[in-house]
Amino acid sequence: MVFSFIVIPLLVAAIMPLLGKISKKLIPDVLTNAALAFLLLNSILLIKPIFNQGSIIQNISWMGEKVNLQIALDSFNLFMLFTISLVSLAISLFSIDYLEHYGHKANFYALLLVMIAGMNGLVLVPDLFSIYLFLEVAAVASYALVAFGLGYDELEASFKYLMLSAVASAFALLSITIIFGMTSSLNFQDVARGLQDLSARYVIGVCLAFFIMGFGLKAALVPFHAWLPDAHPSAPAPISAMLSGLLIKVSGVYALFRIIYSVIGMTPVMSQVLMALGTISMVVAAFLALGQKDIKRMLAYSSISQVGYIVLGLAIGTPLGIAGGLFHLFNHAVAKGLLFLNSGSIQHITGTRNLEELGGLGKRVPLTAGTNLVGSLSIAGVPPLAGFWSKLVIIMALIQAKQMGYALIAILASILTLWYYLLIQRRAFFGQMNEKWSHIKEAPFWMSAANVILALICILVGIFFTPVFKTWISPAAEALARGVQQVMMWGI
Amino acid sequence: MIIQIILLVGLVIFAGLAILAKDLLKAALSLAVASLFLGIIFFRLSAPYAGVFEISVVAGLITVLFALTISLTRKNDQVQEARLVKIAFPLFFILFLIIDGLVMKSLLLKVPALPAGPEAGTFGQVLWKQRTFDLIAQIGVILAGVLAVLALFRKKEEDKDE
Amino acid sequence: MTAMTLLWPIIFPAAVAILFFLIPTRVRFVREVLAVISSTVLLYLGFALFSLKELSLTTNWLGMGINFDLRLYHFSAFILLALSGFLFLICLYSTVKMKDHPRVREYYGYVFLAAAFSNGAVLSNNFILLIFFWEALLITTYALVTIGLKPTSHRTAVKSLIIGGFCDFSMILGIGLLWASTGTLTMNQVHVEPHGLAVAAFILMMIGAIGKAGAMPFHTWIPDAALDAPVTFMAFMPASFEKLLGIYLLARISLDFFQLKVGSSMAMVLMIIGAATIVLAVFMALIQKDFKKLLSFHAISQVGYMILGIGTAIPIGIAGGIFHMINHAMYKTGLFLSSGSVEHRAGTTELKKLGGLAREMPWTAFGFSVCALAISGVWPLNGFVSKEMVFHGALETGYPIFAIAAWVGAIFTFASFLKAGHSVFFGPRSTEIPKTKESEAPIVLPILILAALCITFGVYNKLPLQNFIQPILSGQAEAQGSLDLTTHALNLFNPVAGVSILCLIIALGIHFYGWNRGGKKAYLASEPIHQLIGLKQLYNLSEARFFDLYEQGVKFLQWLARILFQFIDRPIDFIYEKVITAIGRSLTGLLQKAHNGQYANYLAWTIGGLLVVIWIILQLLR
Repeated sequence: MVFSFIVIPLLVAAIMPLLGKISKKLIPDVLTNAALAFLLLNSILLIKPIFNQGSIIQNISWMGEKVNLQIALDSFNLFMLFTISLVSLAISLFSIDYLEHYGHKANFYALLLVMIAGMNGLVLVPDLFSIYLFLEVAAVASYALVAFGLGYDELEASFKYLMLSAVASAFALLSITIIFGMTSSLNFQDVARGLQDLSARYVIGVCLAFFIMGFGLKAALVPFHAWLPDAHPSAPAPISAMLSGLLIKVSGVYALFRIIYSVIGMTPVMSQVLMALGTISMVVAAFLALGQKDIKRMLAYSSISQVGYIVLGLAIGTPLGIAGGLFHLFNHAVAKGLLFLNSGSIQHITGTRNLEELGGLGKRVPLTAGTNLVGSLSIAGVPPLAGFWSKLVIIMALIQAKQMGYALIAILASILTLWYYLLIQRRAFFGQMNEKWSHIKEAPFWMSAANVILALICILVGIFFTPVFKTWISPAAEALARGVQQVMMWGI
Repeated sequence: MIIQIILLVGLVIFAGLAILAKDLLKAALSLAVASLFLGIIFFRLSAPYAGVFEISVVAGLITVLFALTISLTRKNDQVQEARLVKIAFPLFFILFLIIDGLVMKSLLLKVPALPAGPEAGTFGQVLWKQRTFDLIAQIGVILAGVLAVLALFRKKEEDKDE
Repeated sequence: MTAMTLLWPIIFPAAVAILFFLIPTRVRFVREVLAVISSTVLLYLGFALFSLKELSLTTNWLGMGINFDLRLYHFSAFILLALSGFLFLICLYSTVKMKDHPRVREYYGYVFLAAAFSNGAVLSNNFILLIFFWEALLITTYALVTIGLKPTSHRTAVKSLIIGGFCDFSMILGIGLLWASTGTLTMNQVHVEPHGLAVAAFILMMIGAIGKAGAMPFHTWIPDAALDAPVTFMAFMPASFEKLLGIYLLARISLDFFQLKVGSSMAMVLMIIGAATIVLAVFMALIQKDFKKLLSFHAISQVGYMILGIGTAIPIGIAGGIFHMINHAMYKTGLFLSSGSVEHRAGTTELKKLGGLAREMPWTAFGFSVCALAISGVWPLNGFVSKEMVFHGALETGYPIFAIAAWVGAIFTFASFLKAGHSVFFGPRSTEIPKTKESEAPIVLPILILAALCITFGVYNKLPLQNFIQPILSGQAEAQGSLDLTTHALNLFNPVAGVSILCLIIALGIHFYGWNRGGKKAYLASEPIHQLIGLKQLYNLSEARFFDLYEQGVKFLQWLARILFQFIDRPIDFIYEKVITAIGRSLTGLLQKAHNGQYANYLAWTIGGLLVVIWIILQLLR
């Protein structure tokens, strides 16, 4: 049942505060993880029908009466759903131990589930206005989660995030309104058809700019990125992982490219603009990451940089480029989720995130150090880990599309990436052991378990790259690329 | 017409204040007032549902939420604002308004005439028959807001307990 | 044997490497036994595959012409055999030398991993596959250098990573260009006439190949690693594996992918790089005070001969270059291993502290002497033969300057090895180190095996030339004149050999003159250089000889060496170490200042960005 992706988290979230009164820890832990595990299972079970049928469109009736609840599922959606379910399950496993010192688990889980419901909804709806609404669902939940620690810094970061995010939503909404005004429909297919009949290239150009700004801000593309390095590090570690690993990709990258590929249609102009934006993000954020002392801030900048890669890949517009972008999206979701969770482990173990205070932890906490190494190397693109392949595919797609300049920059940026990830490794885990840390212990079971699961995925996807890429990424990319052909070129 | 202009100007002023205010608390309050103005504008444009939604969720829930929590956990030292910032933002903002005004006017002329929207009965029917999905999303937004209140006000209870 | 056998040289060492990572550090003995046994298995595999000659394996991999494509033919089989041979010797040697090393577990793991990747790189017949293995080698190199556990090991490791990364990066670009112009990624289908874009592709790929081999200017990490990394690593990577791989690829590039013409501009580029590397590195080697560091500079200098040989594009020169590659791998590995043996017993490799060890360590001294004579090109050892072939090739191109450069290199190679051997093994017994004895058999045995190979390949030079080298050239020789090894009399009685022998005599003279002047202390044989660097204890000596004609000559050389060191070697190093880092820092600082945490500021950018995006889109639409 496709609809369960939205309804189950919402229902569980609704009863969670009540359950929290009965049992402070056990029931929320079990119920949340069970719900997310069910969603993961569900998304795996859907793989086969999707491969057989290509896509599923479900219309749901309410008490026998026909209502307009339409859900469209193709391999691209399913790919996103699987990614969301997988990473969020790992995050909620991590939270079992991590949330001990925050308390109020029930509230936390409830907000987390609402956010997941929002993302799932956003992925599933084939309707512009519904996209906006689900965007808001996920966003409102994320404002509260960023501020969950209730310190002054956290509130300030959350408020900044709220302000900028509201501006972004406003622009996206403005653009949706203009499109609605012109076509008097909101459904993807109808809008696409309506836009073809019109000849309003300039208006659509401006709409596109608004979309780029609105969703680009959600995805933290430079120069719309500045809220992210404040907001992501302030949140509790599982939430940072959620925001960096999933939210910016779903509410930013997914929404933007879904609209471009399925509604407006990818054209050379757009391709150029987005490739330039992606490249700027990639380079600027990589330099910014180099100078950070706080692990989580460094990771946050790295997220911006990697989103740049994803956008660059998706914006090429060739099937190979789209596949590379999607593959990198998955790899980055897993690896960045892992690294943020890992930074939570480090904070839990030592009480600090300042790289200059850390040092020589590797000997005392081998699991944390090992998983961190795997995540870092995967993002930095070291073979044979997963991140290497996705970057390779993107670079190959660039070469194939005769974009040598971009390919060059992408390779150089990956060297920068390797540089700052080696910095983390050297400062935190290797090198001279700081005397302070001679008595630390390895992180609790569930925290380590979540880290290990994600690290294993990084390794396994890297090793079994060929089957994964063929059976999983390529169909999703084809689903998107088909959208390009469906939406005829009409001027832009 | 004059009321309309006053409302719009007020909206812009308070939205600007929300961004430029040094003090977070003042910024949050300005945001609330700006949302209030927006809500009133919605009402006057005969979109009562949107107005209610705007005032209840944005002005009410989120902003009040922030105002209260910020006032509860205020830090004594204030963030230093760079002088450049004060100039940069208004500059860009005004620039944007001017360009927007010029460009949009000429663009809107090129927008083809609005096709007649589907006549589909009352608001309730439209919402139920055609935009059912949005209802679920609305439920989600409100749920998120309620949960946010629950989550952000827990500290207060804890403080009392101690 | 089926085509699947080709996977064995890759999968087997990788599996063994994983096993090594799993064996706990405390378990002893098992590790050593496993290392020797599995390297023996690999050696057997090498022989088996070498006897097969032709085998290929192609499976679909990523689509888009990127297949998992392995191809065994005489050249790759030969390199494969050589790789497994060296791996065996290094493993044997390490059983004693690395026994008590705290990170021995990782050491063996990375060594076997490196072997797996190297075998993969040699066998791969698809450029993307090649890049994959080639890049992976960077990581093992990085890891192995850090195993040195010196305070500066990490820095050196990063240096090797950056330099190697740069070279590999150029290679990737080159391959990209080649792909764009030929449309295929299968290596044995690429044959391009070097015109236009292909020239750029050639230069870029060449940088990748010679960077791996350690030619100038991509050499600066090797001398640092000589002190910072374990000596077994030096024998393993820079002395043998990297040379074999780098020169293998260079030969493939210049003979296979691009058909290099005699005297073409690209051949000239190669020859200039080769000649410059020979001369510059040998001058650097001359002034070194540490045994291992001296050897490492020679490891660079000798690459020059191979590049020069291949760059001649004349069959005899190419054959000489490739022959020199295998010879060099043998004697340089032998030399590094003997320096390790000295370190093992005496505890130091500083020339000044060592002396007269020949009596206590006769086998090491013997092995060292043979290898040192071979590297210096003394008849009838293998180095003589391959150098002669390079000299002949260089002369035949019609640019004798390159042959002269090679001869200059030969003079100072011999001079510096006279100095090294004289100060370590011969002369009076040093008083600074306690009495010692010969190293254990597993250390001495590899050195002696290598020495024996040096002699065999020299005396019976027809044997390797006809069995190994000639088949490689058979494809190319048709196009550019047949290779007949008997046309060039590789014996003592021809003018070219005469000049070479004259060079050796000059070197002998220089050494003994310097030795005499240095108060019969062999490590001072090149001491004037020390004086210019400014060491105080040598100041008086330098003043006393100020007006000496010999001194003036040497001084010019010193000056040259210092100039080269200061103005060529150091600036290159400076660029790697300082400039790139500093640019990164300052850019980062600038960007950081802009992120001051005020969201009004951020919003301003956002709106500014929006305006720019709108403007660009409207411009593009126009």
